[in-house]
Amino acid sequence: MVIASEAGPSKSGREKEGSPEEKDDRTFECNICLDTAKDAVVSMCGHLFCWPCLHQWLDTRPTRQVCPVCKAAISEDKVIPLYGRGSTKQEDPRNKVPPRPPGQRTEPENNGGFPGFGFGDGGFHMSFGIGAFPFGFVTSSFNFGDHHHQRPAHGAGRGMALLDEDPFVSKIFLWVAAIFIMWLFYA
Amino acid sequence: MADQNINPFSQEPTTKTTPERRQLSQSNHAVSRRLQKELMTLMMNAEKGVSAFPEGENLFKWIATIIGPDGTVYEGITFKLSLEFLNNYPYVPPIVKFTSPCFHPNVDLTGNICLDILKEKWSALYDVRTVLLSLQSLLAEPNNDSPLNQTAAELWPNQTEFKVHMEKFMADMRKQNS
Ligand SMILES: [Zn+2]
Ligand SMILES: [Zn+2]
Repeated sequence: MVIASEAGPSKSGREKEGSPEEKDDRTFECNICLDTAKDAVVSMCGHLFCWPCLHQWLDTRPTRQVCPVCKAAISEDKVIPLYGRGSTKQEDPRNKVPPRPPGQRTEPENNGGFPGFGFGDGGFHMSFGIGAFPFGFVTSSFNFGDHHHQRPAHGAGRGMALLDEDPFVSKIFLWVAAIFIMWLFYA
Repeated sequence: MADQNINPFSQEPTTKTTPERRQLSQSNHAVSRRLQKELMTLMMNAEKGVSAFPEGENLFKWIATIIGPDGTVYEGITFKLSLEFLNNYPYVPPIVKFTSPCFHPNVDLTGNICLDILKEKWSALYDVRTVLLSLQSLLAEPNNDSPLNQTAAELWPNQTEFKVHMEKFMADMRKQNS
């Protein structure tokens, strides 16, 4: 029988056991199909899979969601996609497999921002220390625009939800800030 | 009211037929690829005491051999096995059977094997190589708690008696087959 192999003559020469190059190649092989991982995702336990392969694995055993390699608990929303350079080009359209879960971006903590500016805390309790830094106010409002661009397509973290209303809110803030500045000047 | 809720589900299989069929041929291809890779690795790094090769042109059916581990009653005996891969391999384990007679607590008279990794403990990471190596160590260390062959399980603690029985069993099976 004929073995259809992608390994050309140049490659077969180094398929000896333990050769360092071979090990290098295997580092990025999917643990399920044994091919180089496509649409790669990595589990929290650090094991690499193609997303379609892992998805099918989880699909075939809905009651026992474990990592095929180390049997650690695993779940679809806790895998991390890996985006290599040019990885988007390798994507082949899969109609049945749901899209790979998006990466979750956490914004770096904005140290320069205004400390009393706590949206998530559920209120506009900006202590009136604001008066001292009226400009911090304005820049904070403008930052909203940036958040929009950097946000991943689907996977908005929970904290992001509040920002969805921002066109309106930020306008109000601009106005408040403007009035504030005026007040500072005239007072 | 309840009927209305159930109906859409019962109709689902019919509406899904076409994409599922397409997926099936895709997955067949993926299974072949994986089996080819397994075959390559098996041929490149021959494992001591185990071997496997597809049966004829069919990549989904393999014939394997395991040599009984040293220092056991099976020492030097070559066992033949058959492996059958379904088209959702490696998401489900292969169907593995002894085709040559094997007197062992976890193997029944027709060659069926009771081994956790071939059932509920299966993982997509296992392959022909690891299955055969696991079976080789199962020969040396049976799991006597859930025997398929009660006689063998009872005899196991007394290895000399076990061996006598085993040789008689193998002779009988050979007679039956000829
Ligand atoms: Zn894969
Ligand atoms: Zn793992």
